[in-house]
Amino acid sequence: MDEKEMFVKAYKAMALSRALDRKIVMAQRQGRVGFYTPTIGQEALQIGLSMALENEDIVYQYYRDVPFMLHRGVPPATIIDQIMGNSSDIEKGRQMPSHFSSKQYNFMSIQSPVATNLPPATGAAYAIKYRKKNNIVVTTFGDGSTSTPDFHAAMNLAAVFDLPVIFLCENNKWAISLPVEKQTKVEIWKKADAYGMKGLKVDGNDLFTMYETAKKEVERVRKEQKPVLIEAVSYRIGPHSTSDDPNKYRTAEITDGSEKDPLTIAEKKMIEHNYLTAEEIEKIKSDAKDNIEKIFDEREKLPAPSPDTMFTDVYEKNNWIIDEEKEEIL
Amino acid sequence: MSSKQLNMVQAINSTLDMLMKEDDSIILLGEDIGKDGGVFRVTEGLQAKYGSERVIDTPLVELGIVGMAIGMALTGLKPVPEIQFQDFIFTAFDQIVNQAAKMRYRSGGEYNVPMVLRTPYGGGIRGGLYHSQSGEAYFAHTAGLTVLSPSNPYDAKGLLISAMKSKDPIIFLEPKRLYRSIKSDVPDEKYSIPIGKAALVHEGSKMTFVTYGSMVPIVVNTVTKHSIDADVIDLRTIMPYDGETILNSVKKTGKLIIVHEAPRTLGMGAEISAFIGERAVDYLMAPILRVCGPDIPFPYKLEEYYMPNEGRILKAINRVQEFR
Repeated sequence: MDEKEMFVKAYKAMALSRALDRKIVMAQRQGRVGFYTPTIGQEALQIGLSMALENEDIVYQYYRDVPFMLHRGVPPATIIDQIMGNSSDIEKGRQMPSHFSSKQYNFMSIQSPVATNLPPATGAAYAIKYRKKNNIVVTTFGDGSTSTPDFHAAMNLAAVFDLPVIFLCENNKWAISLPVEKQTKVEIWKKADAYGMKGLKVDGNDLFTMYETAKKEVERVRKEQKPVLIEAVSYRIGPHSTSDDPNKYRTAEITDGSEKDPLTIAEKKMIEHNYLTAEEIEKIKSDAKDNIEKIFDEREKLPAPSPDTMFTDVYEKNNWIIDEEKEEIL
Repeated sequence: MSSKQLNMVQAINSTLDMLMKEDDSIILLGEDIGKDGGVFRVTEGLQAKYGSERVIDTPLVELGIVGMAIGMALTGLKPVPEIQFQDFIFTAFDQIVNQAAKMRYRSGGEYNVPMVLRTPYGGGIRGGLYHSQSGEAYFAHTAGLTVLSPSNPYDAKGLLISAMKSKDPIIFLEPKRLYRSIKSDVPDEKYSIPIGKAALVHEGSKMTFVTYGSMVPIVVNTVTKHSIDADVIDLRTIMPYDGETILNSVKKTGKLIIVHEAPRTLGMGAEISAFIGERAVDYLMAPILRVCGPDIPFPYKLEEYYMPNEGRILKAINRVQEFR
């Protein structure tokens, strides 16, 4: 794939993700979706990194990484199935929306407590290194996660054992209602220094800058087998979740479709580089919207998983206690 | 069939050695387990034999040890993390309860965590509040975890072999009081003790004892010394416990005494008592009794008052004997 094709693919994923985000937020307001954590504003940084990765690289992501998943090839229908918790959902309707999982695309299953994906990411990297494989591990988290013991533990372990892990901090400046200035006294990327690992800051709102940085770092981590902390600065354009009202605690710095919106920035650059025309961009956006509408309507019709699925996958094989409880309830 | 007289430390050590020799996906990790061989010497000599990549001296971070082990398990390895004392496990509790235990379920069965977390537990070594706790109920209360506790070197080997074959996370609780205090004949060959199956370690007809871990020898000795006609059931697997064996015995004897070191309230004794109450109340000829640790933190200087002993077990025996 040449540069142009790469960026066109990336832009398409951004547009698709934005369309999906808008649709799900709308559907939640209409009472058709239970809950969602919008990803709007974080498309460029996720996709910029995704562009630099191989399929075999393993991602321990968090709950705001739909753009990342779409770019790596996870079908929008799979994302929507999880959000609806329907009979086609990989997770069998067990997790609330935004807690995705896809073994096929090397995405780990997501948990709600933040940063708890970081220590396992170091273990995955240890396993890769032990088996002398060439893939690397990426783990993503928000700025709030950098205050947790899990962040500290994982950063320290990755550095001590020289593990091929990219710690991608998606600094969207807000942890629900707490601004990043109240989360930490130092810039996040600088924390790397204290662990003996490389740290850097990048404009996460610019797809092109993000890709350039990510490409270098992915290559270096793969070659040197050493971790890096990338702080990608962006902005959470939407609320923390559909249950949150940000008007209570902040005035929006960036809004959907404004000049500083990463989608707008990407569009400007796509035109500058002659990768896409303004008309092509409009077409991509309206196709994405139609596509998502169609898929959503189709997936919404699917039934809930059958009740007996509730009692599987606790263990490889059910024990007598679960069997007895299943018998009583169903 | 050749065998050796081993204590529990030696039995676990030689079992790990045997399994590591044939499977290079087995990785041990924990604090001071390598060069130092672990504070109880359970992993003595294994780093020298298998290298520091497979027997990893980790930084001092329990949540990191368990978290890392989970990632290893998800990437094709078979990690055996050690938490130096079960009392230190709580900073890793989220990794155990929210990550390891729920991984298979929450991923729709796509991911699983085959990990055997070893940790010494219980009192009797003058460890005070933070080197003596018996926290099995915390883990038994979490769907997705399997909780094992051997009471002798023979079982330690057989249970560990079964644990290592499991595709699910196992909490392997080692009663540290028994590490070196008893020896048993341990065959050199590989054998396994099935998960979920209790052992009837003393047979009788007048009452049933259910116990596990460090309390097993104390109950058996008391029953033998005083010629009590009792079944003594060693659970071996705390979760899922062997309800069938308990039920059959209580139906036969009509009397049940549960003995464990952990605090009484909401301990395994409460669960087993409810289990029998639901299924065999019409067979009972006496109240179900529990002989347990009290609901206080584990004391240092006065630990012999804390731990169930012969005197307290005899009192319970006398009480159920009053009912005919």
